[in-house]
Amino acid sequence: MKFYFALWLAKILGVAINLVSRDRGTNLPGEKALAIDPSFVKHFKNIDYSKVIFITGTNGKSSTTNLVDHILKENGKKIISNIEGANLLSGIATILAKESTLTGKLKADYFVFETDERYLPLVYAQLPAENMLITNLQKDQVQRNGDPDFIYRKLKEVINPQMTLILNNEEPRSRSFEESSLRSVYYGVERHDESFNKGIDYPTQACLKCHHDMVFDYYNVDSIGAFHCDFCGYASETIPEYQVNDINFKEKTFKLKGVDYNMPYDLPFMFYNYAGALAICQEICDISPQKAAKAFNNFKNIGGRFEVLKYKDKTIKYMRIKQENPDTLQSALNIMAFDKQEKMVALGLYTLVDFIPHYANTFYAFDCDFKPLIDSKVERYLCFSEHVSYDTANRLIYEGVDKEDITIMDSDNIKEIFAEIDKAETNNIYLITWISTFEKMKKFIEGGQN
Amino acid sequence: MATTLKIGWLFPNTFNLHGDRGNILAIKAEGLRRGYKVEVFQINLETKDFDPMDYDFIFCPPGEIVHFKAVIEFLKPHNEALMTFIENRPMLVTGTSIGIFGEEIHRNDNSSIKGLGIVNLEVYESHVVYGDDLYYHCQYNGNKMEIIGNQIQMMHVEIQEESPFGGLIYGYGNTGNTKFEGARSGKGIFTNTLGPLLVCNPWLTEEIINLIEVNKGLPVWEEKRDNTLELNSLKTKVALIEKKETRLIKISER
Repeated sequence: MKFYFALWLAKILGVAINLVSRDRGTNLPGEKALAIDPSFVKHFKNIDYSKVIFITGTNGKSSTTNLVDHILKENGKKIISNIEGANLLSGIATILAKESTLTGKLKADYFVFETDERYLPLVYAQLPAENMLITNLQKDQVQRNGDPDFIYRKLKEVINPQMTLILNNEEPRSRSFEESSLRSVYYGVERHDESFNKGIDYPTQACLKCHHDMVFDYYNVDSIGAFHCDFCGYASETIPEYQVNDINFKEKTFKLKGVDYNMPYDLPFMFYNYAGALAICQEICDISPQKAAKAFNNFKNIGGRFEVLKYKDKTIKYMRIKQENPDTLQSALNIMAFDKQEKMVALGLYTLVDFIPHYANTFYAFDCDFKPLIDSKVERYLCFSEHVSYDTANRLIYEGVDKEDITIMDSDNIKEIFAEIDKAETNNIYLITWISTFEKMKKFIEGGQN
Repeated sequence: MATTLKIGWLFPNTFNLHGDRGNILAIKAEGLRRGYKVEVFQINLETKDFDPMDYDFIFCPPGEIVHFKAVIEFLKPHNEALMTFIENRPMLVTGTSIGIFGEEIHRNDNSSIKGLGIVNLEVYESHVVYGDDLYYHCQYNGNKMEIIGNQIQMMHVEIQEESPFGGLIYGYGNTGNTKFEGARSGKGIFTNTLGPLLVCNPWLTEEIINLIEVNKGLPVWEEKRDNTLELNSLKTKVALIEKKETRLIKISER
């Protein structure tokens, strides 16, 4: 009976929240339902766990989930998914409550859920998915997650031989889960024009199997690329089963299993999401690459990391990074470095304000290689954001930037940021800052300051 | 011909969590500023003939505990040499790697790993992670200074009879319940301060190089580094600490 009360409350709350704002409340109904029935998710009916897919990992889980959802829907499948990104147990509870009948029955061809890697055991305890894609396990949110092994152990608690795993071939931690499952499928990306190497003083990582040093032949995305361990032989496959290849940045196309695809986003980290999504569609949902290909023509990613603003005669290219996550910062640096035009770089690494205590951590910037950016015609740097601007500037100085080429602004004042942008001779402005400052800048422009 | 400073960087690939290579950049930059040639040697599990005494400074960054056994096995034959090393030469060990040099690492699954026993401390892996700013005063090479940095606490450090490296002004430190930060044994620094500690606190970097100069019989460099940028950074981060909400026990109540 508890379940029904919880379900009906969640439904009522869902409708009420939807009336106030369609963008809000993706967690609240589920939270309240779980307070009434702690096993709420477990009690839904008609869920075939062989049709449940979890998509987890550090980076790329939202985009991959969105793309899988899109491909399957374009192919006429009924999908229940958390594409709004509420990826904790309460978010999944909210979606299930919304999609179920009044008696908790569900009807879908597949259930596709982005799941937070840290809370995966809690979700799995109530929803034992038989399929899981692991995008990558990287350094991320150290204030919560400590180190990648902390998360690795969380995933280990859940993964079992009955699961089908879809694994990133070129990310050593993810790939190593192959040992725990009877069926693993690998996806990856061929070396492409924006693949890169880092200097010898940039550490790699230890082999998961023998603790010796891992060697990356190249990176397609920071910390992801063809790897091998000389000591024990652990290595990525040369050609994984689902490999994005023949990437053409100019034509915005790629191939996988001989099929041609339009490339909706030509950002290197997206290539892995394409390959992973196509592997899920074929291996779990029986949608062939041919059938999936047409869905790439009209895919729009929700909450992407790249936006362009027009400000006076300038173009501001905003790149959202994840804090405490060197891989997303490195991707942003690479994008700037590949642009050989004169540019101004406004770098607003910022204080961590996820939860109490807030703190001033920018140390992940020392994992990133700034050299290619510095060699790519930067007219001027602006290091802004309260409490961390000096450290950000120091990172640049240690990479060889002259102090005189950096403006340091210990502030997040929008007007001051725009005043510095105004001073730039170039119209080509790159901006890295947190979403809140960016939104304020966007409003400033929309408010007629343009 | 310029004098060469030799830096030993322990397990850079195995232990690589928080932008720790910044410390190598800082020590190298300060050495170069003083006109020395600076050579950095990466020591990994395959390094043959490792001898700590070949180096003027050794840095061991923090790492995942899963790799500790392999590293301890590698370092065990060099225990005596490492003890001799820290009697006079500077060594910096940060974060979780403190445990390697201590007596024992107690894991949260109730297993334990025997450490090198170079410093008299034990570490206890936590079930939760705690991340925050870290601010303390300390003394190194005879000079008092303030250190600012970050801490991602994954284990408690019980320093037994060892001297703490610092006295907390703000932060979690060794256990969250004491005023102690890290440990110091001889010239060895064992600290919870992560990431580019020597970048953010060049006054400590200067003292490390001063000590190397003394050890090598070189005149101590007189011309001070311009630390204006780092002092401004310290000031603004202290301002954050002073205004932020915290659930830590007040230092005065520890």
